[in-house]
Amino acid sequence: MKKFLYALSLSTLLATPLAGSANAAETVSILMEGVPDTEYVKALIPEFEKQTGIKVNIEVVNYAEMHTKLVPQLVAKKGSYSAIVVDFYWVGEFVKAGWMQPLDKRIADDKFDTTPYVPALMDLVGKVDGVTYMLPFYNYAMGLTYRTDLLADEKNKADFKAKYGSELTKPATWGDYLKQVEFFTKDGFNGVVNQGLRPDPIAMEWSNYLFANGGQFQDANWKATTNTEAGRAALSQYIQNINKYGPVGAASFGFDEAFNVMAQGKAYSYITYNFFRTSFDDKSKSSVVGKVEIMPVPGTAPGKSGSLNGAWGWAIPKSSPNPDAAWTFLKWVESFEIAKKRALAGGSPTRNDVFADADVLAKFPYAAALKDLLNQSHNFPTFTYTPQFVEVLGRELSLAVANQKTPEAALATVDKEFDELARKDGKLK
Amino acid sequence: MTTSVVNNAPNRIHVHDRRFGWLLTMPGLALLLLVIAFPVLWALFTSLFEYTLINPGFHTYVGAGNYAKALGDPEFLHSIRVTAMFVVAVVVLEFALGFLIALMLNDTERGKDLYYAILLCPLLMNPVVVGLIWRMFLHPSLGIVNYLLGRIGIPPVNWLGDVDVAFWTIVMVDIWHQVSFMIVLLLAGLAALPREPYEAARVDGASSLQCFWHITLPLMRPVIVVTLLIRMIFAVKTYDLVYIMTRGGPGVATDFISYFIYRSAFVGLDLGEASAMSGILLVIVLAMTAYLHRSMRAIS
Repeated sequence: MKKFLYALSLSTLLATPLAGSANAAETVSILMEGVPDTEYVKALIPEFEKQTGIKVNIEVVNYAEMHTKLVPQLVAKKGSYSAIVVDFYWVGEFVKAGWMQPLDKRIADDKFDTTPYVPALMDLVGKVDGVTYMLPFYNYAMGLTYRTDLLADEKNKADFKAKYGSELTKPATWGDYLKQVEFFTKDGFNGVVNQGLRPDPIAMEWSNYLFANGGQFQDANWKATTNTEAGRAALSQYIQNINKYGPVGAASFGFDEAFNVMAQGKAYSYITYNFFRTSFDDKSKSSVVGKVEIMPVPGTAPGKSGSLNGAWGWAIPKSSPNPDAAWTFLKWVESFEIAKKRALAGGSPTRNDVFADADVLAKFPYAAALKDLLNQSHNFPTFTYTPQFVEVLGRELSLAVANQKTPEAALATVDKEFDELARKDGKLK
Repeated sequence: MTTSVVNNAPNRIHVHDRRFGWLLTMPGLALLLLVIAFPVLWALFTSLFEYTLINPGFHTYVGAGNYAKALGDPEFLHSIRVTAMFVVAVVVLEFALGFLIALMLNDTERGKDLYYAILLCPLLMNPVVVGLIWRMFLHPSLGIVNYLLGRIGIPPVNWLGDVDVAFWTIVMVDIWHQVSFMIVLLLAGLAALPREPYEAARVDGASSLQCFWHITLPLMRPVIVVTLLIRMIFAVKTYDLVYIMTRGGPGVATDFISYFIYRSAFVGLDLGEASAMSGILLVIVLAMTAYLHRSMRAIS
């Protein structure tokens, strides 16, 4: 027994560092969110492993778990993730903390071309203060999904004209859209479904309402500006859409629940992430196949957009155990060939050349609309304390929706806490 | 001389036994210190500094600053109030229901094991799974609960999106999940009660209610106190259900203290303040434990 225990201890001591070094040399470990684009990457991994001999281990978790799991690994001198994916609103925090490696030297050495990326996405999840920390992975700019069959219905057209004196067509302005939401709410059918769960679902969705009304989160000096006429109108409209024109319970819906309501044909419209567009045509998930289209969230005037931009970027953490292998993977996964394969599988591109590709356009005719959506979208304020601000915004919006606060009081708190965070970050003097 | 040796022998053996006893418990105590005392002390130490994950390190000593900040935060105080309400609601309701079922099971002979197995099922489930299942069941337009209510003419209930309902929905789900815990402990207590007092009471013509009030309840008091204590401590730390089902909403209706502390630490990245909040929670739990422990001793 004694000999056995000695042998066990010795073998454990010897095996641990050896196993660690073997993994570090040959395995790229990445933490990713459980979304369609992750699945498209996973499906292509065998191709990479065959080409390079490097194993890839992708750990998939729920979005809410991502930040919690990442931070301890990023703080550590040597973490367990070779590469990471970074949501746009963590960028300020990760850069400030110095958790990501600059990629400029690797990009220059390998002549990796970053010019095909949509410029707005390079600004959001690529460069910070002129330094490239990330390569844009996929975009989730938000758009308005709506039922084309209901707009084409002759009776609906006649009824709408009789009620509002205008044609029932794809909404050109935010005002047109709000009329349609009201019009379609009848006989147990809902004009809209919202994702009112706090903190990020409600915060992200309401941002579209703010931009659609011509509002902004902050001015050029980083002074908060949500408690303005546009902001208050946006919040009043949001409360009305949830409580009057939406299904019961929308105040607690996450994006998956809201999507299901829309996909089961129970609502006319839903402002959501553009990667859901593909899912509306998936018979296994949707009963409205071929009846839903996407467009930029309409703004104050025709041609103006109220859409919120959003994206994830690939990065190599400073705590990466094998940054060179991680870079080999990043170069491969973001090459035109692989980016196109991901797009053809249903992914949300970040490169202009993929959006313009004939095969992609042939398979997804709405890819051009998605590109427009992306180029017209507004960015959420990104700074060191963006995650905290999303918490504050989500809490206050939820209080207003629950009629626990007036829109004015809720937005006054949002502005006050935004100013405090911006001041703490040195953005607001 | 002989007498002295004989008289001192038991003391020497006693001292030797005590030393040997300590020696035997040392590994266990060392392990306890390592896995329980060290993290608690570390957290209390951290709470005295401005320690953020963006700038980790004990650079700035703030004393009781983090405690003052936490206790001056109306949102944190609100989370304490909501948690207190939740603890009272679930402990009282689960105890009443659990005791009733335990009494029924105690008098049941046939199919007892089957009832027991069915009742234990929720307790064996992970709270995250419980939250996800109930979130699906309670979906206002696609969930089975509102569908069944609709079949008997009841309009859809906004289970998780209505400020006045969401809190009680969480209470209801927690009862479904945790009441078996009360049943198991109380049933074990009931099974261990002596039969003689009941037989004597029956001979004296006591009714079932009198037997319960004058025999069962007094004899069960220590078990009841321990059960309530354990359940209260678990209820104070409820996190999973809120995280999965409401994220503290709608508004701040279900913003429990554990979820609040989690956000301070992993969203706000402020470990100093989060540690201070955990320290406050520790004091609350210790106070509850001390109170119930004293009550139990008084009863004994």
